[in-house]
Amino acid sequence: MIRVDNICKSFEGQPVLRNLSFEVPDGRITALLGANGAGKTSCLRIVCGLLQANSGQVLVGDADPATDPMAVRRQLGVVGDREGLYERLTVREYLSVFAEMQGLSGAVLQEALQAVRDELELDGLWNRRTKGFSQGERMKVSLARALVHRPRHLILDEPTRGLDVLAVRLLRKTLLRLRAAGTTILFSSHVMPEVAELSDRVLVMAAGQIVGAGTPEQLAAATGCTSLEDSFVALAYGQRPAVAQAEGEPA
Amino acid sequence: MSSRAVFQGWKQMAPLLRKELLEAWRDRRALIMAVCFSLMFPVMLAGGTTFMVKKQSEEVTRVALLGAERAPLISERLTSPNLDVDSLGEGSPRELLAEDYDVVLEFSDDFDQRYQDFRAPQVYLYVNGSESTSGRAQRDVQERLGALQQLVVTQRLTARGVAPRTLSPWRVETRDVSTPSSRGALILATVPGLLIMTLFVACLSTAVDSSAGERERLSLEPLLLQPLAGWQIITAKTVAVASLGWLGSLLAITALVLLMPIMPLTELGIQRATTVSGVITMGLIMLPLALLVAVLQILLALRSHSFKDAQTQLSIFQIAPLVMLMMLDIAQVKLAESWQLLPLVGHQQWLKGLLIGDWVSPGWMLSGSLVTLGLVAAAVMTGARALRRENLLSAS
Repeated sequence: MIRVDNICKSFEGQPVLRNLSFEVPDGRITALLGANGAGKTSCLRIVCGLLQANSGQVLVGDADPATDPMAVRRQLGVVGDREGLYERLTVREYLSVFAEMQGLSGAVLQEALQAVRDELELDGLWNRRTKGFSQGERMKVSLARALVHRPRHLILDEPTRGLDVLAVRLLRKTLLRLRAAGTTILFSSHVMPEVAELSDRVLVMAAGQIVGAGTPEQLAAATGCTSLEDSFVALAYGQRPAVAQAEGEPA
Repeated sequence: MSSRAVFQGWKQMAPLLRKELLEAWRDRRALIMAVCFSLMFPVMLAGGTTFMVKKQSEEVTRVALLGAERAPLISERLTSPNLDVDSLGEGSPRELLAEDYDVVLEFSDDFDQRYQDFRAPQVYLYVNGSESTSGRAQRDVQERLGALQQLVVTQRLTARGVAPRTLSPWRVETRDVSTPSSRGALILATVPGLLIMTLFVACLSTAVDSSAGERERLSLEPLLLQPLAGWQIITAKTVAVASLGWLGSLLAITALVLLMPIMPLTELGIQRATTVSGVITMGLIMLPLALLVAVLQILLALRSHSFKDAQTQLSIFQIAPLVMLMMLDIAQVKLAESWQLLPLVGHQQWLKGLLIGDWVSPGWMLSGSLVTLGLVAAAVMTGARALRRENLLSAS
């Protein structure tokens, strides 16, 4: 489980997260929705331990990233919103380095590498240097890096951005398989159909706070909307899109 | 920290070190830069000294004499191995200097008459002060004229029964007391600075790439999410960067030593050059310096705003210490032995001594190297703290 309890974060005096609290249950896929600038990336970075909250507490499993970052990093797999690869390393070398940094070695390392190679269909890329990879190929390699040490928790920041249909399908298939295996998944996205199809639970963020939480159906019921997209607009922007359009305002 | 914990730390760091080394050594641009610069300066030095000695041995001052018929003695006696004298009837000194004469000597119209009357006739010496060779040419001709003048004075005084010594209350004779080593040290004074500069240049590209470059390519974040301490990340990067810098300086030392047999060392006053143990010592003392240069470049690159900014800052950074070393050399400042504890200053002195086969104190080399390594450790810890800075992350 990932638990975020009452965290606040400011950048240069500008508050980004305001008493943010939520839970991500074990073995479930939780989506974090929010407009640009709502604080999703900052929130995920605090959960990972890359940023420190000004106040409040985060627990990943039973470890606090602020006090025991190493324990958190061992049980986390993270795919950031924009990630670079090491362009002078082959995919095999790249994944091997990260797996070894997570403490894998010998036969366990070889098994882990073979497993991600098969799961993410990396055969064609395996011995190629990552320079010049397409967005989809880069995402596959990043995902493989995040998964190679079999983390208990997986965090993805807008993983489908810039991906083609096949890459999105592969990602979806992988996330569903990981959920079935008991992995706790928290991801942020702007693609509503994707979120509706994948998520067990949706968190809607606006101005650094959670303004809605529940299954897509529960959110729809709470806002009186028929789709997740409409529910999100109602929660994040405080108005129903149908009404906004009728009044000639941007939806 | 116990030795077991340190060992564990290094073991954990091994895969990252492998990654950094692979990336550094596969960076063709950085490798070419390191190798080219390392080989370029010894070759240029060998070529430069050979050319200089050859030019010196071939240097002849061309002298045009105007009105030579009025001073036959001078015209006859002026010629020497380094003076090529042409007697011309008439001509314009300015035009002759514009051609290929270094000096024009013009005898006044009444030179012969005044000379016979012992009335100090005029001789005009024309040089073009804007020419780089004018100083040497003027000196050569004046020296020769001075010797001739002395000869005439001696003859005149002797003819009158006066001892020539009467007009010379003392005689100045210059004696060069420099040893071959010290003369060699003067000539090779630039070499340690260039070796140290090689280190800076060879490290630069990889240092920028592995810090500011990684941040700009957004590949630093996944690294910071691994269960590694900041000191491990900085150390792995430092070792990788230093490996290229060290390679550069080793190549430069090797090239320099290999080129020494074809360099005109004897003509430069160097009787003995470095030994095999001297070469090995040079390589060893460059290792801590390579680590220090690497970690400082990484720290500076991490502080910069972008890849380009890092390149600019590091280019300036590498000039500053070299200017300091050059100033110390030019000013010929006498430093106390304890200055050898200071990185760069110590390295410059050791390299200078080792290059020309002088004795260098192992105690000072060891102490200075330990101080350098201590500074490396302090810089690594500073770098580890720098990795916690939030503005290292993209878009935060």
